[in-house]
Amino acid sequence: MIIEPLTLGIIGMCCLGVLVVIGMHVAYAGALVGLVGLVMSIGITKIIPGEGGAWDAFLAGFEPGIGIAGIVPFAELAHYSLSVLPMFILIGYLAFHARLTQGAFYCMRMWFGGLPGGLAIATVFATGAFAAVSGASTATAAVFSRIAIPEMLKYGYKPGFAAGVVAAGGTLASLIPPSGILVIYAIIVEESVGRLLLAGFIPGMISAVIYAGSIYLRVKLKPELGGPTFKAPWSVRFKALGQMWGIVAVVCIIMGGVYTGWMTPTESGAVGAFVIFCLALAHGMTWTQFKHGLTESARTAVMIITIIWGILILVRFLGFSQLPGELEALILGLDVNRYWILLVILLMYGVLGMFMDAIGMLLLTLPLVQPIVLALGFDPIWFGIIVVKMVEICLITPPIGLNCFVVAGVRPDIPLMDIFKGIWWFFICDVLTVALFVAFPGIVLWLPNQMFSG
Amino acid sequence: MSTAGITADPVLLKIDQAYHKLEKVLNYVAATFLFSLMLLACSEVVMRKVFNSPIPGQADLVEISIPTMGFFGLAYCQRMAGHVRMEIVVQQLKGRAHWLFEFISNFATIIICMLMIYGTYSHFLRAYEFGDSTMDVELPIWPPKLIIVFGFCILLGRLFISFFGYWRLLMNPNAEVYAVPVTLAVEEIAEAEAEVARDAITDKDVDDELERR
Repeated sequence: MIIEPLTLGIIGMCCLGVLVVIGMHVAYAGALVGLVGLVMSIGITKIIPGEGGAWDAFLAGFEPGIGIAGIVPFAELAHYSLSVLPMFILIGYLAFHARLTQGAFYCMRMWFGGLPGGLAIATVFATGAFAAVSGASTATAAVFSRIAIPEMLKYGYKPGFAAGVVAAGGTLASLIPPSGILVIYAIIVEESVGRLLLAGFIPGMISAVIYAGSIYLRVKLKPELGGPTFKAPWSVRFKALGQMWGIVAVVCIIMGGVYTGWMTPTESGAVGAFVIFCLALAHGMTWTQFKHGLTESARTAVMIITIIWGILILVRFLGFSQLPGELEALILGLDVNRYWILLVILLMYGVLGMFMDAIGMLLLTLPLVQPIVLALGFDPIWFGIIVVKMVEICLITPPIGLNCFVVAGVRPDIPLMDIFKGIWWFFICDVLTVALFVAFPGIVLWLPNQMFSG
Repeated sequence: MSTAGITADPVLLKIDQAYHKLEKVLNYVAATFLFSLMLLACSEVVMRKVFNSPIPGQADLVEISIPTMGFFGLAYCQRMAGHVRMEIVVQQLKGRAHWLFEFISNFATIIICMLMIYGTYSHFLRAYEFGDSTMDVELPIWPPKLIIVFGFCILLGRLFISFFGYWRLLMNPNAEVYAVPVTLAVEEIAEAEAEVARDAITDKDVDDELERR
């Protein structure tokens, strides 16, 4: 009995699906399937066709297969580009204690408070600003539930509306650098971390502006949602900008460092983390808080590092099986417009996101999806931004919609159903934003291309 | 809940707690590496840009710090149920069926962990015997490779504790849950996030913020 490598690849992916569904950790499921797959792939090349069965193949491939898998954790992890991840995670955890949120919210209120729905618009822009020091959507949503929702409720905003604004605003963190998920994407598809980080900046801002615009329109049409608070004089507005200096400093360090090439992304992240650390100390971060932030950062970093090596063992096996190449040929052979295929891929992410966490979903699918997208002639940097935007949409849609749960966790008085209702409009905004980026890829690619054109 | 579980099997609980202490210490080591990495990268920027003398070998150190960090904290992350997985099916199951699925995936994880120990150990052994070193300042690379093996071994210990923990629950699904990683539901994760936000932003801050108007 002899199995084709391709058949082996398909069997492997089916086994992986089963293991993941029964609740095995994605990292270990990927490593297990990858390792056994490697052993078998090598084994079937060693036994004489017609003689020996699967077990003989397994024995023949055992040593070399495990040898390859055993190299992966060190060989794939000891890369300089990976070291940016722990830095970004650390920034996110320390940013809580640096009191940057209050300053951002105050400043944005001074600037936008006079508009219809002004407080909600200010919240969106303040979450966008905080996103520049945090890469975690849920954390951003949690902090702003704490400071922005009470304010909005005080001015008579509808609770579901106010909660929806915060849950949606939190998602901006995954696009605006520092973004952990963009770094993970870059590493898995072997693209430049710096370019992806830069690419996320403008789409993140556009998302924020579209959110704000939709709030403006909705409140214009339905003023009882929440009115303007007060118009601050210009002198106050400019003075309020001073509240933003911590965030501006970190944005300048990270974006400036990466853009000019003065610092590597890791160094930019480290200097940014150091600035946030000093700010947090200045604002009275306690030893317990620091210890908690640091151990949580370590745990998050370990989680991401583990899933990266696990999936990379799987990727080695997929390489042997030729499955990605065959799948690519199959899809390219279809006589349909490439945008239809893109639509199917994006819808698949929409559905998967209902059942799975963003990181797991990306890592499980990208080894197969990415080659197809490349072969269709789409830009990998651009696709990264689109995928992350899809992931964000999953963060606000039921049944998982983690951001909505987070807001409900901070504000148990607002029913979850109201929050999901409040999010509906932002969901439409996000779909429109994705459509906009698909129609005009230049929006995404302009900034990263600037960096490397010179 | 019945307290019978605790009196019937206190050894496992004690082992779990003692082992968790070890995991915590190792996670602190990982956290220390993380913080040192930040300081190292900052110093490198200062030295390179201000004094024009880059720290020799800092890139080498940064590179080997990632596997080191990733494997010192491996068992802790497992115990805290920190790894990514799809919970939607397992969470729906209750009682024995639930513990059966957990037992199976834990068992599969034991297998991969043992295989990886074997694979990474031979990888370490080659580096040790041939004396491989890093590109720039020629640091020996067997120590981080050994740490990977070590991390897997500590994880294996944790997985064996969970093995008995899940076995116990499989036999007696209503017993008190201990010695296994406790997975949080979406609501509980959200609650934990909210807790941190509450810790970071006190009511006083919110009041101050309101007063500033």
